[in-house]
Amino acid sequence: MTWTKWSYMDHWVTETPQGPQPPSFNRAYMDRYLKQLAALGFTGFDTFFFYLPVYAGMYGSVKGFEEHLQETGFDKITGIFSAYPSATRWTAPHVRETHDRIVADSEGIMRMIEGLSVENFIVMPTSTHWQTEPVTDETIKVVADLWNRVGRMTLEHGVKTTCHFEFWGAIRTRQQLDVFFEYTDPELVFAFIDTAQHTIAGVDPVQLFRDVKDRVTGFHFKDTHDVDRQEQYRTPPDPELQAPYTTRWFYEMGTEGGLVDFPALMREIVASGYDGWLTVEHDKAELGGGSYAEATAVAKHYIDTVLAEAERDAREGTR
Amino acid sequence: MRDSLRWAYGLNQWNFRLDVFVRHEDHRRALQTLAATGFDAVELPSGTGRWDTIARPEVILQNHGTAEAFLAFLRSAGVSRVASLFWDPSAPAEEEEGYAFRFARNPADSDAIVEWSHPLIDFTAAVGAEQLVVRPAHSAWMGAPLAPDEYGVLGDLWNRIGRRAADAGVGLALHYDCLSAVHTEDDLERLLAATDPALVGFALDTAELTIGGIDPVDFYERHADRVTHVHLKDTRFRDTGEEYRMPGAESTMLKGGAGRRIERWFFELGTEGGLVDVPAMVAALKAHEYPGWVVVESDHGSNPAELAMLNSWYLQHELGIPKT
Repeated sequence: MTWTKWSYMDHWVTETPQGPQPPSFNRAYMDRYLKQLAALGFTGFDTFFFYLPVYAGMYGSVKGFEEHLQETGFDKITGIFSAYPSATRWTAPHVRETHDRIVADSEGIMRMIEGLSVENFIVMPTSTHWQTEPVTDETIKVVADLWNRVGRMTLEHGVKTTCHFEFWGAIRTRQQLDVFFEYTDPELVFAFIDTAQHTIAGVDPVQLFRDVKDRVTGFHFKDTHDVDRQEQYRTPPDPELQAPYTTRWFYEMGTEGGLVDFPALMREIVASGYDGWLTVEHDKAELGGGSYAEATAVAKHYIDTVLAEAERDAREGTR
Repeated sequence: MRDSLRWAYGLNQWNFRLDVFVRHEDHRRALQTLAATGFDAVELPSGTGRWDTIARPEVILQNHGTAEAFLAFLRSAGVSRVASLFWDPSAPAEEEEGYAFRFARNPADSDAIVEWSHPLIDFTAAVGAEQLVVRPAHSAWMGAPLAPDEYGVLGDLWNRIGRRAADAGVGLALHYDCLSAVHTEDDLERLLAATDPALVGFALDTAELTIGGIDPVDFYERHADRVTHVHLKDTRFRDTGEEYRMPGAESTMLKGGAGRRIERWFFELGTEGGLVDVPAMVAALKAHEYPGWVVVESDHGSNPAELAMLNSWYLQHELGIPKT
């Protein structure tokens, strides 16, 4: 069988009369965007927490939005992404005094998706490295305590809290990841592997999956051309857009010169028995004149050809 | 797209300007986009010269060496075949006497246009395509209305080229467009009557006919035996003010430079306010067991990949056509 649970992470920019904008520009653009994803065969939809009120406004409610997704060809909303990329006085995962606020925010998000069957609450476990450093084991312990609390709470709503690590976040090296997984409760806190983010940080996503597969509840499949060898991850305020030597970090699967070994990852996923969603993400695909639409189609072609073959190989045990 | 009709997609939208869609990686991404949306056959667009690396036969061969190598390139990007080629002899091209202007209505130009057609016919055959789709006449604004006897000139010209195409094993299909001097339904029927049905077919374009005031479904029902090729796209407008006669109608009408200032005439299937009854058109084609290609187009639109995906969604979800 071919993998059917492909979802799409809600990053898009499309041309509007007011210039390039997200499809949430208005309902008509949103409808067109969803049709395009459905045409390619995506059946899951991941989005950001801050879009939930926008979509509720467009479609009557979050539930109404999900019903529209289903009318367009999707199964459901699969994941909600939340983050505090910049540490503030009120919200900073490495500052224990802000944890009550973050837990309360997370509960608010759970209330917004009550009654749906969202599977993942995807979080950036830390803010930027430059705001958090020095990153000690104690720092990671404080962060882990937060996500244990959040994880326990979201499970009561039927949703798994799963951690998505940035190359510029405070938990980025393999050693830091291992400490974090040790400090977090495997029953409460899960792992979400972003193939490009880990690769940029010098962590092999395939090996990481191999090692923590029992905790993995999702993936962002995207590629990169660069490993950060110049400590660009410490660039304030945002290393994704202001790194001194790399103007574009992320590329779609199938890009020439891509560093991620997606077929190897696909074979590992099949061999592991993982049966969750696989998510395609394009982040800042418009840089350099790219098009989100084309990047998405090219990635799906890669899925339909290269990854389908890798999946077949794994199921037949030929490689 | 898998059903009783044969579906292809026009590459013309990617080739929207002289100096774009030149590099092979751009072609590859467009082809992969079409493969991912369920189209595995394409129509090659018309072209003028060196930048038409996926349009003009001589430039394709310069780039890929042989027709077979070109097909291998298409297949490597998920597209298995070429359904058809488009050719507009009224658009100047390098290889057509160095951008010479010739007119199909002019008997003195006939021999040259026949000569120009040879490499296109040969390449159509070499890549295994079935139809050479042509623009049979110039834009209406470029001259006086066609006199009745001039349809005989057009008919003779296209019969000659049709015979050459038939000898090469490919079909020739005359394409109606909304700017053409062959404009009204009477004009069109006169042109078809002037051509030999055994040698010359008709390429029915749903949006172009609609803009020109001709109902494509009705026209098809009455001329199904002549239709050998279909372009499927939608429009939101009819040319109710004879805007096609405005000087420079390619810009003044189709790009909104004058008249009602409509900057975009062609739209994807399922567009809001679309005038083409696409389900009825597709049903009619199926009822007549239409054997040719249905080429979905999105030319003169916006982002080509977005429109290809929207067209794919419409076929899958509104018409129930399986993607694979």
